[in-house]
Amino acid sequence: MNVTRDFAPPFTLIAPFFLIGTLFYVISMIALFALGSEVSFADMGTIGWVHLYLLGFVMMIIFGAMAQLVPVVIEVGHAAVDFFYIIWPMLTVGTVLMVAGFAFSPALLPYGGMIVLLSMVIFAADLFATLKRGEHKSIVVSSMKASNIFLLLGILSGFVMALSFGGVVEIDPMHWLKAHVFAVFGGYVLLTIMGLSMVLLPMFGLSHGFNDKPMLWAYRFMVSGVSAVMIGSLIGLEWLETIGILVVIASVVTYFYQIYLIKKTRARKENDIWVKSLAFAFFTLAIALFESVVYLLGGSESWIMSAGWFLMMGFVGFLITSHLYKIIPFLVWFERYAPLVGKQKVPMLNEMVPLRAANAQMVSTATGVMLVGIALLFGSDSLFYSGVSVLVVGAVYLLYSVYTMMQYGKEVL
Amino acid sequence: MSVVTEEEVYKAISTVIDPEVGFNLVEMGLIYEVLVLKNGHVSVKMTLSTRGCPLHQMMIQWVQEAVVRETESDFCAVEIVWEPAWNITMADESVQESLSNQGIGGN
Repeated sequence: MNVTRDFAPPFTLIAPFFLIGTLFYVISMIALFALGSEVSFADMGTIGWVHLYLLGFVMMIIFGAMAQLVPVVIEVGHAAVDFFYIIWPMLTVGTVLMVAGFAFSPALLPYGGMIVLLSMVIFAADLFATLKRGEHKSIVVSSMKASNIFLLLGILSGFVMALSFGGVVEIDPMHWLKAHVFAVFGGYVLLTIMGLSMVLLPMFGLSHGFNDKPMLWAYRFMVSGVSAVMIGSLIGLEWLETIGILVVIASVVTYFYQIYLIKKTRARKENDIWVKSLAFAFFTLAIALFESVVYLLGGSESWIMSAGWFLMMGFVGFLITSHLYKIIPFLVWFERYAPLVGKQKVPMLNEMVPLRAANAQMVSTATGVMLVGIALLFGSDSLFYSGVSVLVVGAVYLLYSVYTMMQYGKEVL
Repeated sequence: MSVVTEEEVYKAISTVIDPEVGFNLVEMGLIYEVLVLKNGHVSVKMTLSTRGCPLHQMMIQWVQEAVVRETESDFCAVEIVWEPAWNITMADESVQESLSNQGIGGN
């Protein structure tokens, strides 16, 4: 089946996800000034920041990217593409309310949580309806199905916690915390990234003929590991939780091996901003894995705080920004230049990336990620705020780059 | 009716550039077969560098338009096939060399 132009959502539908997601990224970096190097994962400030970053930036960009990529992967058009017009406003409002709830007034949490929950239910509804229409079966499609089930479970558990913070229901939120974190971050974010890696990395790197069995195992490990952690934490079986965490780590290691196999068969050797950002992303994933193991072996909380930082800001952050430099030029090119092919000279996609700003973004953000990660490990505020300052500079460069790519060729319309 | 040669068809398709890598479809080795029928119609069997290529339908359209625009033929049918699966050894040596060189086309 062909992926026709009709299957591709209009740029006007996807653009707000990328622009608002990037704005949330800038705000997230500035908000780090409100934290310090000795934060705990149970602090309301930390939880608020994590939601600002994960909902406002990570989820917003993933949803926008999925609007474009779902038809490509499933080889069928969206069941209800117009749903995306209401997803981003709802996710924006829900995120703002939730962050305000964590920062100022817990009573806002149920309202914010409800709006976020609804936006994600709408997203999942479109995805499952689209999956039902498609006939193409692959590990990517399987990971999409599983990750969206985890998204719903994760958001539901988060909503129960939001009700608890808001005083509506009485549960011990810490009891639900692991289930929520592993469902959303491991089950949804990581599994989605793993699945999409199997499409995007070979496509941009022109890798062929590699063994894709490790991804199948990474998928199985992640699904069973996250399930075990969720069940273990909800019914209070600590040994099941521990096994689940180890299986999740095994999944990430297996995924790492899969990426190595894809890289080994890469025909396209150029080290552009995409490759350099990916290299840093996987470097920080290795650091996060190492620090997680140290924590599990009895290390202090600072190890897991630093690991979480490298995982979220290093691995997930750089995976996302690296692909913004590929996906946005493609979307803009597809909208503005594809109709002109054969009629006039059209630019190549890499010409649409503002090279200096993109490199400045990558270098400053990588520096900031390292400084803050080390600061969290050793409890150094001076290092922490130095790192945050550099991250803010990187965020401004990112905003400039995203805006410039979106404006490219606007005059041709 | 004027006669269209296979060579002319390949030349026409070589005006279609993949915007991601910057090479034309012929030098990328994506064109598997070109047939010129007795009535002057052209049939092209081709593949794409990846199955999940979001330009799938556009590529078909660009090849059809290029053949009609650049040759005397007034009809071109394009079929996308996945066997044999494309790999880099199918591309011209110049393409392979360029892709292997760091910094070529990079940003």
